[in-house]
Amino acid sequence: MNLAFAPFNTELTVTKINADEKTSRHLKNLGILVGGKIVSMFDNGGNVIVKVKDCKLAINKALAMKICVA
Amino acid sequence: MKFALAGNPNSGKTTLFNALTGSTAHVGNWPGVTVDKRTGTYKKLDEKVEIVDLPGIYSLSPYTPEEIVSRNFILDEKPDCVINIVDVTNLERNLYLTTQLLETDTPVVIALNMTDALSKAGGRVDSAGLEKELGVPVTEISALKGTNLSELMDKAYKAAKIDRKGSSVIKNGILSSVYDKVYKLYEQNGIADAAFHAVKLIEKDELETKKYPDLAEEAGSLTSEVDTGLFEGDFEGVVADLRYKYIEHKFSGLIKKAEQERALSKSDRIDRILTHKVWGIPIFLAIMLAVFHLTFSENFLLLGLFIKEGTFDIPILGTDALNSPGVILFNAMDWLTATIGDAVSGAMPEGTWYTGLICDGLLSGVFSVLSFIPQILVLFLFLSILEDSGYMARVAFILDRAFRKFGLSGKAFMPLIMCFGCAVPGIMATRTLENEAERKRTVMLAPFFSCGAKLPIWAAFGGVFALAYTNLNATLIVYSMYILGIAVAVLASLLLKKTVVKGETPPFIMELPEYRMPQFKNTMIYLWQKLKHYIFRAATIITGAVIVIWFLTSFNFRLQMVDAEFSIIGIISKWFTWLFVPLGFGMGDKGWMFVVAAFTGLIAKEMVVGTLGVFAGISEDEALEGSADYLFASSLGAVMLAIGGTLGDIDVSVPAMFSFMAFNLLSVPCMAAVAAANGELGGKKNTLTAIAFWMITAYAVSLAVFWYGVFFKVSVVAASVVLALIVAALITLAVLKYKGVIGAKSAVKQSIKGE
Repeated sequence: MNLAFAPFNTELTVTKINADEKTSRHLKNLGILVGGKIVSMFDNGGNVIVKVKDCKLAINKALAMKICVA
Repeated sequence: MKFALAGNPNSGKTTLFNALTGSTAHVGNWPGVTVDKRTGTYKKLDEKVEIVDLPGIYSLSPYTPEEIVSRNFILDEKPDCVINIVDVTNLERNLYLTTQLLETDTPVVIALNMTDALSKAGGRVDSAGLEKELGVPVTEISALKGTNLSELMDKAYKAAKIDRKGSSVIKNGILSSVYDKVYKLYEQNGIADAAFHAVKLIEKDELETKKYPDLAEEAGSLTSEVDTGLFEGDFEGVVADLRYKYIEHKFSGLIKKAEQERALSKSDRIDRILTHKVWGIPIFLAIMLAVFHLTFSENFLLLGLFIKEGTFDIPILGTDALNSPGVILFNAMDWLTATIGDAVSGAMPEGTWYTGLICDGLLSGVFSVLSFIPQILVLFLFLSILEDSGYMARVAFILDRAFRKFGLSGKAFMPLIMCFGCAVPGIMATRTLENEAERKRTVMLAPFFSCGAKLPIWAAFGGVFALAYTNLNATLIVYSMYILGIAVAVLASLLLKKTVVKGETPPFIMELPEYRMPQFKNTMIYLWQKLKHYIFRAATIITGAVIVIWFLTSFNFRLQMVDAEFSIIGIISKWFTWLFVPLGFGMGDKGWMFVVAAFTGLIAKEMVVGTLGVFAGISEDEALEGSADYLFASSLGAVMLAIGGTLGDIDVSVPAMFSFMAFNLLSVPCMAAVAAANGELGGKKNTLTAIAFWMITAYAVSLAVFWYGVFFKVSVVAASVVLALIVAALITLAVLKYKGVIGAKSAVKQSIKGE
């Protein structure tokens, strides 16, 4: 399942990132990488707010759909 | 000696910089406030130390242009020591950068910031343990309160004198043997920062591979042996994973995080409301309306509804209603400048040229600009509070969803929101955008966000027209200008995206800082900077320009003193005034004055009211009677109300006023902003395109505003028909697009282009 439709307040593990190289590098720097933990907190019509390593990040829908979690 | 401050965005680098150097650089509560390096001096050591404040970075593999500034500084300019600021409330992510900084050969010391916030929330950190594990000095500080700063600097000073050899955390784990071999290759070739370069090469970093092609080949054959598992050959991912694993393994025991009573913290609960998918945008609009109400309303909290006519009349405070704080301060300032003006003109001989210069020209022009200082400060006070609390980062998030389709990502809104203060730092802040097309688009939209220098225009016209026309409201006039600016920016963005500056809207990822109480000191520094800037401009550019305008309006080509209409500017402006007749404000016998004012506004927007002030000073207009409001009762008010005049037997002043304001809102903002845009757009051609774009947009929108206003006055039916036609056209477009007619066409076009 992808991050845009993931359940809220559940610890998830990133399984795959389908974004382009530059974006996925930025995601890695922010702590979003394969095998990493992520919690989806709430959404704003598809755009999501997630918690990664004690830090709150806002991600737009199109990108959230490229992040697969389990 | 030279020390660099490096750390994650929003970790407190600039606060520390200000505390160390006594500077007053702008601090905000969102990532990306600092976009360029700045330097200051620390004087409390044996020798003077230059402190360099760098833009925040998440890693040494940069993503945005301003992050490149930081990386290049640390690697190429070799500071004597890097002070790495680590926000303990977010330790893991901050240490990620630390593991990279430690790979360079530069001495590093760690400043653990916000330890006070952590301990207040019931957590604590073992800094001695951190120091032992990282192998570099660690100091607990509070940048905000200035705690332990001299201890930090002593440690940095000592560290700077000792050579350090970089080492990497990936020397353990699946890449260890590869790392050892690549590291030795660099060392044998005598290349500095060997550990850093070795890691970059293993990551297959593009720049590194190009720089050392021979080494890259050897490293490539080494890495091909490694099984990367889930990362499927993505060595950057493997390295990042190793770093995070190392941090988790070594440091999770050294920090006790704050206990959380509930699943959602206070910040989270506030966010649930403020970023709500339905209520987020209405709440933002309501907050802005409240801000404008507090700054411009002459009917504070609508108390006027409860006060009987004629029972309440106190100068400055209000008539039959209470003024908002902004207006009270404005009235007080106005009373002050008027009193000084009267005293000066009373003391000077009547009818001489120098009395004219000082009273009609200088005082009248400069005072009309200065009297708006209180309202500008009140507005900026509120904006600064909103920014410092962390709310503006949320605004970027909620606007992203609304405006993404128009080619603007939420991140682009951060620089644009800064433009509400001044377009120059706003344009420079576009460096936080990683996508070049979006960056150029954002620079071109920057002037549409009404800046502080434009505020006197809205306040002056809003004040006068609200008094003269009972169906108008000052707050709403000002608010409408801000909203018009945003609306035009959004539509213009779509236009630019389809034409001049094509390119996709990049993804939006942004850190949302915790909410916090606005810092009194930050707010005061911000307001002081604004005040200084405004007064400086009033004393230099505005004063100079006002004298020139007075001269050109008082003399003719033979240097004889004449009525304004026959003056140099009166004659020259008539060559251009016809151009602005269709916009309404060029109409009437005073039309040329507004054309001149709009032109001077292209140099600096404060000049618009300043120029009108000069015209008011020399014109013979009688002040309007019967009002306590100074501006309304002044000759400046009389001049402003004459805008547009009549068309046939209809009074078109109101539409002409809106058209004039729209023109000033959207045209070339000022010379300083043009220079800044030139710097960011890179090239004269782009800058000229931008100038043409601003002027054409200003003309077209003003034209539309004026005629819409005129028709609306003439007949509600006519106005509704026009509106209905526009709506019908938009619906047709949408339907065609939905059915794929338009989309298919453009697809065909693209395929032809492609061949």
